[in-house]
Amino acid sequence: MSALTDPKGALAELTRPERWVLGVSVAFLLFLLAAMLIGALGPTYFLFLVGLAGMYALLSFGLNSQWGFTGLINFSVAAFFGVGAYGSALITASGSPLTEQLADVPVVSSLLGFPIVGLVVGLAVAFVLAVLIGIPTLRLRADYLAIASLGLAEVVRLIVLNERWLTNGSAGVRGIPGFFENWPVLSTFPEAMPGLRIEVIPGSPVILGTSFWQALLNVLLVLAFAGATYFVLRRAHRSPWGRVLRTIRSDEDLARALGKNTYSFKMQSFIIGSLIMALAGVFYTHLNLYVGPGDLDPITTFYAWVAVILGGSGSNRGALFGGIVIVTIREGTRFLNDVALPIDPAPLRLLLIGVVIVAVMRYRPQGILPPQRELIWPSAIDGGGAPETPDSGVREQKGGGGDE
Amino acid sequence: MSEGALPKNDAVLRVDDLQKSFGGLAATDHATFAVERGTITGLIGPNGAGKSTLFNLISGFYEPDGGTVEVNGTDVTGMEPYQVADHGLIRTFQTPRKLEGMTVREAMLVGPRKQPGESFLTLFSSPGTVGESESANLAEAERILEEFEIDHLAAQPATDISGGQMKLVELARAMLAEPEVLLLDEPVAGVNPTLAKKLKSQIRRLNEQGTTFLLIEHDMEFVMDLADPIVVLDQGHVLTEGTPEGVRSDDRVIDAYLGGGT
Repeated sequence: MSALTDPKGALAELTRPERWVLGVSVAFLLFLLAAMLIGALGPTYFLFLVGLAGMYALLSFGLNSQWGFTGLINFSVAAFFGVGAYGSALITASGSPLTEQLADVPVVSSLLGFPIVGLVVGLAVAFVLAVLIGIPTLRLRADYLAIASLGLAEVVRLIVLNERWLTNGSAGVRGIPGFFENWPVLSTFPEAMPGLRIEVIPGSPVILGTSFWQALLNVLLVLAFAGATYFVLRRAHRSPWGRVLRTIRSDEDLARALGKNTYSFKMQSFIIGSLIMALAGVFYTHLNLYVGPGDLDPITTFYAWVAVILGGSGSNRGALFGGIVIVTIREGTRFLNDVALPIDPAPLRLLLIGVVIVAVMRYRPQGILPPQRELIWPSAIDGGGAPETPDSGVREQKGGGGDE
Repeated sequence: MSEGALPKNDAVLRVDDLQKSFGGLAATDHATFAVERGTITGLIGPNGAGKSTLFNLISGFYEPDGGTVEVNGTDVTGMEPYQVADHGLIRTFQTPRKLEGMTVREAMLVGPRKQPGESFLTLFSSPGTVGESESANLAEAERILEEFEIDHLAAQPATDISGGQMKLVELARAMLAEPEVLLLDEPVAGVNPTLAKKLKSQIRRLNEQGTTFLLIEHDMEFVMDLADPIVVLDQGHVLTEGTPEGVRSDDRVIDAYLGGGT
């Protein structure tokens, strides 16, 4: 039974917080549409925001598959994000020192400039980094990974800042192409599309030009990335594999006593999460067309943590929701510049995020959308005529993330 | 496998000259004993005798300083706990730990060993196999829950059931791992008498069906009634072993428990 074939049934299955989130999201979307139609919000900028939301959703998916699933404390989200972003940028950008150095190397030089190659390189570097940091720390207690990851984040940031021959240092990397550059059809799609002029309110037309179509392509790209990630994580989460991770999160010794190689499971969870974070970085590079050391600041790690805690650790939908909330607060506060406030609105952003976190921890410590249903492989339930699902949700009574 | 490596008699677990020290304290001091297949062997001893340390050494959670542990004739000394479990030795813990965010049914499904769905790649390359094994495990989990008369708890959050019920769930889950030998660490500690009785009858039933048990227990009535033979541990070494009657009347055992006053 899907939401498409039976919308009423699907709605009835939702729990109260799910309905609430759905309602708020629909209302918010309508509000944004209205703002666009009256010309208060540029459609291109709106699509840019959707792209950012997708990027934050990816970051939260990555952290969720480490912390939410397995309880791995990773404070180097920004490092893996940065590795993805720089990995792809250095391979593809015209202003990359690396492409200049490799220009004369046969075979390799013919691969430079292709964002797909950048994607592979970004993910590969993240993979290697995750394995290197995982080997010494994942056999130890959770705290060691936390400490090591804090260090890793700084190390990666400082390398990016200081190794000018490779990264351009503080100047950052410019001249990054869009993700669809060099692709057939898609690379010329934005120019080929006709400009549209929509006039809802007389006198303030909304114009959809090349940049709009470019932004639309980016949104489709992030939807593909995030959609595929969501699909993979959803399947993994409700599988026996995910169940072992959840056991490790609560009690690693129990998992070991039952014959699970917890080191291997933790490593898989850590690598998968890190790859997803790097994927967010690759997308960001080709969305922003510029990366600098500032993109590796710890604030990115902070935002990802806030998104996961806010949404409900262990919940993929929660991570998605958290990512959207972060972008709404981050970008929404920019509009406060238009309103005359007695104080500078920029610090207000962090204050607002702090208030949201305090409120969530106080009133809903398990997060807004914690995992609420039994996670058993779907076909086993359909086939075995499994018993009723608890309607209260297994995490309703206890804080999902409240054990740390 | 050479002749010599075969288990003598039919010991499913053989502990030979096992040693472990923490600093200067010998927690396990040249302990030697065997658990014969099909028995319920009790492991008793005063507080600090080294029972839990011995469990941790046998199940791979601690690495011994010397000596060997054999499960089913295979030397498992120094192996990781998951490898020891793979050889058929499953253990429970003194304080059952509750699995946050899982129902009892989900907590049960952690039990079966080597599930195809525990491989990440199989989830995508062969989802059908995962589904089949999950269906079979689910059916088996529900059958065992019924046998334990706790099937009504299946959909309850695992964090919401009582400590005694959790001990039953632990035992039921361990059975899903199809152990050759099951190590129970204080199965009735803190359990109300009614549930303790239920646990006792379940252990006896499972034993009749072929599972071998090694259990630590402080409740003398419980262990004397259930276990035979009994191994008595004191200050890290095996003081004596024998039938409950023999152990009960052994002066050295009385000495160890009462601190040499008699």
